[in-house]
Amino acid sequence: MSVLPAILRRLGALAVGVVLTAAVHAQGNLEIDTPAISALKQSMQKRHAQLAPLYAAGAVGLAADGTVALRDAAGVPLAQRAQVTSMIAAENADRAALYREIARANNHPEWEGDVRRTFAQRWVDRAQPGWWVQQGGKWVQK
Amino acid sequence: MPVASRWFLAAALALSASACVTINIYFPAAAAERAADRIIDEVWQLREGADGAPAQGSSQGEAK
Amino acid sequence: MLALLALPVGQPSAAAVDRLSLKVADVANPAFTLHDIRVVFDAGSATGEISVARARVGGRVLRDVRLRCARAALSFDGFSCHGADLRLAGRRVSAALDFELDRRSGAARLAAGFGQGGRMELDVDGGGRLLARMVELPADAVHALLSPWSPPVARAMRDFKAQGRASGELEWSGAGARSSRLSARLRIADAGFGTADGLQAGERIAIELAVDARQARDGWHWQAGIEWKEGAAYLHPLYLEAGAKLGASGRLDGRRVRVDEAALEVEGVRRLRATASADLDALDEATLSVDVDGADLALIGPRWIAPLLAPASTERLRFAGHVSGALQLRAGRLQAAEARFEDAGFSLAGAAAGAGFAFGPIAGRASWVQGERGRARLEVGGGRWEKLALGGFALDAELMDDGARLARTTVPVLDGALVLEDLALSRGPAGWEGSGSVVIEPVSMPALTAALDLPPMAGVLSASLPELRVSPGEIALDGALVISVFDGYLRATGLRLREPFGVASHLSGDIEARHIDLAQLTETFSFGNITGFVDADVRGLELARWRPVAFDARIVSSPGDYRRRISQRAVENISALGGAGAVAAIQRSLLRLFETFGYRELGLHCRLAGGVCVMDGIEGGERADGGFVIVRGGGVPALDVIGYNRRVDWDELVERLQRVVAENVSPELR
Repeated sequence: MSVLPAILRRLGALAVGVVLTAAVHAQGNLEIDTPAISALKQSMQKRHAQLAPLYAAGAVGLAADGTVALRDAAGVPLAQRAQVTSMIAAENADRAALYREIARANNHPEWEGDVRRTFAQRWVDRAQPGWWVQQGGKWVQK
Repeated sequence: MPVASRWFLAAALALSASACVTINIYFPAAAAERAADRIIDEVWQLREGADGAPAQGSSQGEAK
Repeated sequence: MLALLALPVGQPSAAAVDRLSLKVADVANPAFTLHDIRVVFDAGSATGEISVARARVGGRVLRDVRLRCARAALSFDGFSCHGADLRLAGRRVSAALDFELDRRSGAARLAAGFGQGGRMELDVDGGGRLLARMVELPADAVHALLSPWSPPVARAMRDFKAQGRASGELEWSGAGARSSRLSARLRIADAGFGTADGLQAGERIAIELAVDARQARDGWHWQAGIEWKEGAAYLHPLYLEAGAKLGASGRLDGRRVRVDEAALEVEGVRRLRATASADLDALDEATLSVDVDGADLALIGPRWIAPLLAPASTERLRFAGHVSGALQLRAGRLQAAEARFEDAGFSLAGAAAGAGFAFGPIAGRASWVQGERGRARLEVGGGRWEKLALGGFALDAELMDDGARLARTTVPVLDGALVLEDLALSRGPAGWEGSGSVVIEPVSMPALTAALDLPPMAGVLSASLPELRVSPGEIALDGALVISVFDGYLRATGLRLREPFGVASHLSGDIEARHIDLAQLTETFSFGNITGFVDADVRGLELARWRPVAFDARIVSSPGDYRRRISQRAVENISALGGAGAVAAIQRSLLRLFETFGYRELGLHCRLAGGVCVMDGIEGGERADGGFVIVRGGGVPALDVIGYNRRVDWDELVERLQRVVAENVSPELR
């Protein structure tokens, strides 16, 4: 009987701690200035030079799950389709790592899904006119 | 079980229960959106000129 | 032979002279049978119409065939029809047709002109020999001709927007007889196809096809040769170029086609054989087994393996050696696979900069069967991970549908070994997951430091990491890695390797160092000379590309009674660590007078984040002037080393340290 309250007290303290840290995060900014996130940003920025014309041509679109997807390869010269496929896979690997890293950098690995959803929405919202984005399971041109 | 400890138990359970939920409720959606926008700006080079290459990646030039 | 039964019908009338209507029950030629034929001939306008209720050609039945002739002629010898228009079951076949029938010999001739200059001529002689000639036949004509015979192929042609032109000859002799023979030579040129999403496409394809077939009691026995002469195709995710040659033979029994033997010549494979079986009406369900002998991994790796297995790393993956094996597919899905490796090698270059890892030569075999337990037994001759050479080892793994379980594997590393135990990996929706345990059997530090181009150090590295967990983007190693070095030890715990194969690859963990002999340490790094011992705690150490990018480190003098002296050069070097603002609290002239000084304790705290090391000295050593004590003097002569710069650029600090270590030059002192 004397042990239980002690455990409960700790549990209570833990709960307060969790609530407090979460509340602090809610007000501040997310940590995104880590070397890993910088490396990912650089890698994605470099790749963007090659992806941008593919977004504009509608070959590659921004998918609803925060990835990029091969939407219509018909516009890509045949000999380059394999490279584009590989580029998309590499971009998606970077993006998955980015979402994980942001969640980790903020000491909440379990936020990965939320971070991914937030990014998915922002990539889509901020896509340039003419680019294709996935909305409600369908591809729509912005 | 004394009344006090029962009350304590209830409070602790309520707290721990709320803690479980808060993790998701407290996902800082607005901050995450700002973070996403900052990263998207850099990756898509939407600000800081078209030639891009903002000096984000390197952490040089700090205090001496 | 032609059996023609003409029965004039209709009432004789004023127009009867001009208009003749015939009903014919059957026309049978070995190559075809026509049932229920009506011929209406209008002599006045010289037009006519032939309609056939049922036509049986090559085992297929066509219903409601109508040929409307712009110019027709009917004589005792036969019937001719020019500028005709053909309708099959009410659908117009877009071709201009000429048809001639010799009543006595039974010979018939059909010539069809399609749009864009394509032509087809069909000759049937009385003996049942059919000769077809195609000249630049466009794809839609081929589609129209094929649709009655093979609806799936015709459908596929439409779905894949097939284009191109077919030319060639087809000869069918002894039609209807038991010894019927068929021989075709076809050339397909300027061909292309493409699905709407572009995932399957071909361009500028030229193919030569030769088929010879002979009818026997158990169906057709056929032989075919296909040569892909020109063009390229993308079959997601594979890009293929012309050059392949296929020789095949098999049987066709009713609608069932069997490939008893096929040999494919592809660049990079010494021998490739296949057998297959399919229903002509359901080609998707085909079963296929392929036998590969002597495939050159350097060629087939980047073309076939990397796009399928590691599309994100195709540029960084390299293959070498040979593989042989077998594959079994049903309805496009892999059912079983077997591979035998000879002198094989794989390497994955580091995503950012590092050398990555490589294994080889690999020999052995692996087999996998859907729904069963497969096995891989490989002898790996050696490997390399970054700068570390790995020795040869045997790999024994159980292969499951979506994963593998490794038996205890011992990978020699220098004079020690990396031992993997109970490692089980499975492929989940987000990536690889698994668990196991790792032991590093003692590796001597002299060997390790030599291999890593570090200054030689004595000691031993070993690790017991009983809880290895693999999740997408992270390898967690719980347990401890211990390096006994400089008379003390370094203990690393909570090791996490994050994003191991990506550009953001980094390693994190906590390090606890105890009783590190400074005399040995400073000598090793040519740092002057300090006697004494230190303890260090490094929390949240994060290494990216093997360079620290974050940590919170505290170094303090070890408790205990031991000799504590610090040399003049070491004082200068430590001052350098404190940055340009660090100062020795004695005059430089005085410093020069003595070779060594006594000290009571030393301490340094550095919290690295964002490329900046925030410094502090001995705990409680803050001074009123803002400085912090790094070395507190004691004994005779004594001196304090005090730092003033609390924010030091890490890269600059490292560069300065390296200069000190490399050139052993005295750093500037202010």
